[in-house]
Amino acid sequence: MSAYEEEHNISNEDNSRRELRAQIHELYQENGQSNTLLQLLSQLIPESMQEEWLQGKEEGCPEYFIDSLPRVAKNKLKTGDSCSICCCDYMDDQYPLVVELPHCNHRFDLECVAVWLSKSKTCPLCRDDVLSHKPSVDVSKAEIEEDWGMYG
Amino acid sequence: MASLPKRIIKETERLVSDPVPGITAQPHEDNLRYFQVTIEGPQQSPYESGVFELELFLPDDYPMEAPKVRFLTKIYHPNIDRLGRICLDVLKTNWSPALQIRTVLLSIQALLASPNPNDPLANDVAEDWIKNEEAAIEKAREWTRLYAKPK
Repeated sequence: MSAYEEEHNISNEDNSRRELRAQIHELYQENGQSNTLLQLLSQLIPESMQEEWLQGKEEGCPEYFIDSLPRVAKNKLKTGDSCSICCCDYMDDQYPLVVELPHCNHRFDLECVAVWLSKSKTCPLCRDDVLSHKPSVDVSKAEIEEDWGMYG
Repeated sequence: MASLPKRIIKETERLVSDPVPGITAQPHEDNLRYFQVTIEGPQQSPYESGVFELELFLPDDYPMEAPKVRFLTKIYHPNIDRLGRICLDVLKTNWSPALQIRTVLLSIQALLASPNPNDPLANDVAEDWIKNEEAAIEKAREWTRLYAKPK
């Protein structure tokens, strides 16, 4: 469990609630216009949340994208560099897990930016659309690894 | 309730030790997520003679979710309704977890300096503002004298 999850009491209960929400969203997308009962039910959702629940506005990055963000090696981090989401120095952690966003190269703790990117597609610092850049596949490294396998 | 995240403690400390000019923010004794805020009306705006009180609340999901901010002092402004709710992009769709309490309050101060009647929250005020800007500014000045604390 990450520090963010701990600090914010994110539990399985929240996850099942999220699932329920996804189901409502799906039902509404399929039948919302024609089904009166569904429309009446949707009125029970607080107004401020209706858009998010029914239109599925809460769109983030897919999990594989977040998992594939390149890690920043510890020796590339300077003392005093901090994550702008939790405001803590990377070096406060003996094993900092810092990642870099594509294109803008802004850095964050993985556990911090993962929570944000699960509901948004923008960089917290420059609002760059992080999904708009084609991932560059580093072929050279893959080949080296293959060679190692052959001669190792 | 979960313990107070480190970030909130750091932000609070800095708000006290290195305050933004013209802005104060004090956490409530019983609830460290609830702040009493004052913002001085910006120079050369119809609000310049007054100090405005606001309340700010950090939701459980902060900083993934924006702080909730509301004017407590009555104010005549096209982007602030009669309940004190504020129409400001960074409080809604343009929130980012890299923003902080101090940057949000600075944005609100900037909103006082440049009202935007084309993106209204208080429709009647915005209409007045577009129809007769001079009269609207005079009314904003008058409400500042009537309801805000003098500087």
